[in-house]
Amino acid sequence: MSFEWSILIALAGAVVARPAASLLGRSTGWVMSLVPLVIFASVFMQIGQVAEGEALVAQLSWVPSLGVDLAFRLDGFSLLFALLISGIGTLVTIYAGAYFADKPNAEIGRFLSLIMLFMAAMLGTVLSDNLIVMFVFWELTSLASFLLIGFDGHKEASRKSALQSLIVTGGGGLVLFAGILVIGMTLGTFSFTEVLARSDKLVASPWAGTIAVLVMIGAFTKSAQFPFHFWLPNAMAAPTPASAYLHSATMVKLGVFLLARFDGVFADMPAFGHTLVIIGSLSMVVAALQALRAEGFKAVLAQSTVASLGILVMLIGLTGEVAAVATVGFILAHALYKAALFFCAGTAIHATGEASLRKLGGLARFLPVTAVAAVLASLSMAGLPPFVGFISKEYLFEAQLSNDWNILPVVAAVLVNAVMVGVAGVVSIRPFYFKPERVTEVRHGETIGLLVGPLLLAAGGILIGIMPGPAAQWLIGPAASALHGRPIDVSFQLWHGLTPMLVLSILVVSIGAVIVVQWTRIHNTLRQYDTIYGWLGDRFYHKALNGVLGTARLSTQTLQNGDQHRYTSIVMLTVVAGLAFAFLAAPSTDFLAGEGSIRISVALVLLLTVIGAAATIMVRSLIAGLVSVGIVGFGSAVIFMLNGAPDLALTQIAVETLIVILMTAVLLKLPSRRRHSRSSAERRRDGMIAAGFAVMMFVALASIGVTPIDLRLSDYFGQTSYLEAYGRNVVNVILVDYRAIDTLGEIAVVALATIAAWGLLRGSLKPARTKE
Amino acid sequence: MSVIFSTMSRLFFVLMLVASVYMLFRGHNEPGGGFIGGLFAALAFALLALADSVKAARRALMIHPSVLIGAGLFLAFLSGLPGLLSDGSFLTHWWAEIGSVHVGTATAFDIGVFMVVIGGVLSLVFRFYEGVEQ
Repeated sequence: MSFEWSILIALAGAVVARPAASLLGRSTGWVMSLVPLVIFASVFMQIGQVAEGEALVAQLSWVPSLGVDLAFRLDGFSLLFALLISGIGTLVTIYAGAYFADKPNAEIGRFLSLIMLFMAAMLGTVLSDNLIVMFVFWELTSLASFLLIGFDGHKEASRKSALQSLIVTGGGGLVLFAGILVIGMTLGTFSFTEVLARSDKLVASPWAGTIAVLVMIGAFTKSAQFPFHFWLPNAMAAPTPASAYLHSATMVKLGVFLLARFDGVFADMPAFGHTLVIIGSLSMVVAALQALRAEGFKAVLAQSTVASLGILVMLIGLTGEVAAVATVGFILAHALYKAALFFCAGTAIHATGEASLRKLGGLARFLPVTAVAAVLASLSMAGLPPFVGFISKEYLFEAQLSNDWNILPVVAAVLVNAVMVGVAGVVSIRPFYFKPERVTEVRHGETIGLLVGPLLLAAGGILIGIMPGPAAQWLIGPAASALHGRPIDVSFQLWHGLTPMLVLSILVVSIGAVIVVQWTRIHNTLRQYDTIYGWLGDRFYHKALNGVLGTARLSTQTLQNGDQHRYTSIVMLTVVAGLAFAFLAAPSTDFLAGEGSIRISVALVLLLTVIGAAATIMVRSLIAGLVSVGIVGFGSAVIFMLNGAPDLALTQIAVETLIVILMTAVLLKLPSRRRHSRSSAERRRDGMIAAGFAVMMFVALASIGVTPIDLRLSDYFGQTSYLEAYGRNVVNVILVDYRAIDTLGEIAVVALATIAAWGLLRGSLKPARTKE
Repeated sequence: MSVIFSTMSRLFFVLMLVASVYMLFRGHNEPGGGFIGGLFAALAFALLALADSVKAARRALMIHPSVLIGAGLFLAFLSGLPGLLSDGSFLTHWWAEIGSVHVGTATAFDIGVFMVVIGGVLSLVFRFYEGVEQ
């Protein structure tokens, strides 16, 4: 089975999940986990081929006229991601089944369906070789993330956090899209392979700086880098299985993924790497400070995730083989231990109903296996031997020391890693082993479904740490080579000898130990500086959002006061002003030169409509006004008829009739009191607006009339409509055949617009009735 | 509502419905088509709702208007798939000749448009009338 099918399998899983949940109930998690497992297996089979340095390619034409192909490419780096996505996806599915065990089946189905949808989007993003296709999947991951964060839609905090993440990551996605379009304009291709091959031309172009900035903003928003870091901790409103999957192991690494991919493109642009080092370092320091201050179990983990992402961004900014290996190694190590820790946090919160670390303690009595998994995972996070986290940290320091950067990033990395040690200690020891008096009973114990995930991931952390050989040869080596652009011989080993890196590691662990011991004191001290933290957090976001909402409220109050008369006046005046401006800017009297004869029949009908229009302005009563407008409408229909547009005439008649039927219903109910008609001043003003509009329309139509009309299209359609589409009514043939996709778009708009208006009508006419 | 109007409206309802289907199918060669046909059909139901009641009109329609919208959109979408399979081009229509009449996926597409227009107009008209009736 070819690897690109994995996206379709995941999509099929999303469709199947709901009905499956209603059939299978509590065993849904186990059964549905087969979907990601199959994907994992199919990607796993490609390891041998990919490790030989071969990239697998699959292509399907999609929109060839725009250069958009469904092109997929599996190299070492995307293979690592695909394995993480499907592997952790399998564990998340099993875990979620157990996590939602006491919820209704529909709830499990909805959750797993979203998880599968997300998985499809993730796989699509990392496997796409076409930038446009990648962007589509990229935004789909943001949407899935929005839906999962807002999964408990009845809670206000969930909705707000969901919206925040959507605004930040979705908005960042649009910025990335702009970058992709500029790349396309510069190089004439959206194929990533070609962009990489012609990167020298891209870097030499005047747009290089713009592209780099746009791509970086897209990546920083997704990977929660400073100053867009605030959404990730808030995203913890999502159910914990989603946090483990999206907001630690996979989605937030997409920004890193993108930057790593573009690192090769911008290799000759030193500013790109430097910016990454600076932003990455800033992000990790800010996040480390926040982690020390956070109270919630998940919040602490989320802040440490931001810090880890900062480390990754910084590593990508560094150059050289070691940096590539360090990046890949850290991605792998972090995914293993952080997902495991989230699983453990979820089990602890699920068992007690308490999310704050201050209220948790002594859980090892109730959740013994979870406690063990948490300790193992956090040892890897702390970077202690023999865990994989240790090796990846050694590489991190080696990459830093081998680059000719100044000492600041190294200092930052040491401090941040020390905080990671502190976090690791605090999230594993405190809730599970300290203060047993805090928790005296639990609502749920641990079940097998809740244990498979954390145990396997924690075990993986040790296994790769003790026997790094196979992982280095088959996973890390190929991935680092793909990043670096040249084959790298990876010697991923536990023991490097007595090196400066080891000294730094010892320093990190020592400071970390102090942090663990002094946690409460540091925590309480930092909590006193609320104002500073407010600005480090999402206060900017709230200011900006409130500003936008305030402006919207103001413009709504001015422009949309609820009076239809006023709306129509504003629209008409705007059109008149616009046309008058256009006419005055380019004065021409050409339209007076129009030639032609006056047809008596048309003139008579026109005269009738003019009388109708004049009457509309003058009459007082609504019924008379409606009748007068009707004269104008039906008169127009006759004009269409006389000018060879029977389709238009028919439509016009139907619409006019519909208005009459609708208005009759209203008129039957409206009291015929005087204040429903217009005052004479209002009628004068309406008359003037109408006259102005008429003059402008006349000028516009007359000047269109004298411009020569290009008849090539009309001729083409006229000649071919029967031969190619078997229809003699050209209008209809254009609608359903030549430009059918436009029509499909239009009826989709009609459908959505009417459904929206339908909902509004319900709201305004019937008072809200609450069910249940 | 007067007896005359009420009785005549039944007759008109049937006539307009027949006319709308006629409009729909002759559309490919002569003035008409899914959009105009849909408007006429919607008019027929709106007339029934005005003369009798929204309830009666909803009963006559049998399907909920919003379902009609979705079904129409889906049908229009489906009609594009055969072309995608055979020519690799979405909405390139298939044709069959039955006697002297050409029938193809374009007809299905137009029926989709027809349904969306009926559903769209009526979902609003019915709600509007219900609001007025209160």
